[in-house]
Amino acid sequence: MTVVPAQQPGGGGGSSGLYDVLELVLDRGLVIDAFVRVSLVGIEILKIDVRVVVASVDTYLRFAEACNRLDLEAGPRKAPGLPEMVGEITESGARGKSKGALSGAAETFSDAFKQARENGEAHPRQRTRKSTTTRKKEEHE
Amino acid sequence: MSTYVYGITASSRTDLPKDLGGVGDPPRPVRVLKEGALAALVSDAPEELRPKRRELLAHSNVLAEAGAAGCVLPMRFGSVAPDDDTVTGVLAERGEHYKERLRALDGKVEYNVKATHAEEAVLHRVLAENPEIRAMTQANRQSGGGSYEERLRLGEMVVAAVKAQEAEDATDVQHTLEPVADAVSVGPDSTGWLANVSFLVDRGSAETFMTAVEQLRKGHPHLDLRVNGPLPPYSFVEPGPAEPAGTTSGGGTAKE
Repeated sequence: MTVVPAQQPGGGGGSSGLYDVLELVLDRGLVIDAFVRVSLVGIEILKIDVRVVVASVDTYLRFAEACNRLDLEAGPRKAPGLPEMVGEITESGARGKSKGALSGAAETFSDAFKQARENGEAHPRQRTRKSTTTRKKEEHE
Repeated sequence: MSTYVYGITASSRTDLPKDLGGVGDPPRPVRVLKEGALAALVSDAPEELRPKRRELLAHSNVLAEAGAAGCVLPMRFGSVAPDDDTVTGVLAERGEHYKERLRALDGKVEYNVKATHAEEAVLHRVLAENPEIRAMTQANRQSGGGSYEERLRLGEMVVAAVKAQEAEDATDVQHTLEPVADAVSVGPDSTGWLANVSFLVDRGSAETFMTAVEQLRKGHPHLDLRVNGPLPPYSFVEPGPAEPAGTTSGGGTAKE
């Protein structure tokens, strides 16, 4: 299989998250009624990460706890997170290591996939509790 | 043998990559079916095709490669025709529509932007802008974290403030990038992003678009912005707002 990541013209700024592209592949695009669509049974794990804040007692307590831990004197700092990481991978990919970069991302996706399924089945309530942090954890693991 | 369809492009194109591998294991070779001015990128459809990661990847890779040098109307993943003749039949029957879409999207690519909050940064913002929350946080700390009720009340206020910030930031994302795009398609709600918006951008304006994204990043340090592109125009293949698809929300809505 030939693998080419989405190009980044003009360098910088973008990050190519495989997950994000797959969402488009599944959700958007042309649908022609003369064709049959492959059953998407089993694909719901793509939607596991509820990362917007959901109002619930669990969430309230978690946020109260987060506020208590927050260093009130420090300014808002942005931890170097996933976007930067992926950005670097993508850039090196564009310089000729595209295959490695993409399959690396694919591994991440696969792991997220697996972990999500386990979480989803074993501890469905964890989803809301983990809330905004869920996604980052998954992508790092 | 049924036929898997990746996308539709102009049959006059001579720059289509050769030897593309499509869905299936081993990957089925991608073929070009021509009908008049149109061409469909297809391969044999494997038996028991499932929406696995590698298949989704194969689909998007074929479209990324074919769309790198020219316009392709991407099919949604998983479109299977009974045979090649059905595909060319559709191209013949609805040719004018697809030709019009190819003209409308010529030279344009999609950038998908997703935004989430960087939690710690957004909490700093909420505390800085809301003296009541700040005071309550400090009071709770002095009493060793506060009682269950106190924590609940603080948390409820913080969550309300964060949600208000989410709505404000979603508007900001769209309004900042809209002027540098030709069209906007807002993704389905409830996918877990505070903003999930696709922008149709002229290839020649890609740098302008990315500069606007950088400005958005600088002005909103509490936002995690994920930008994907250039991509084939998945969200713009049909005129008007993209059809809200429930296909990924669960197996129950999948069409057989």
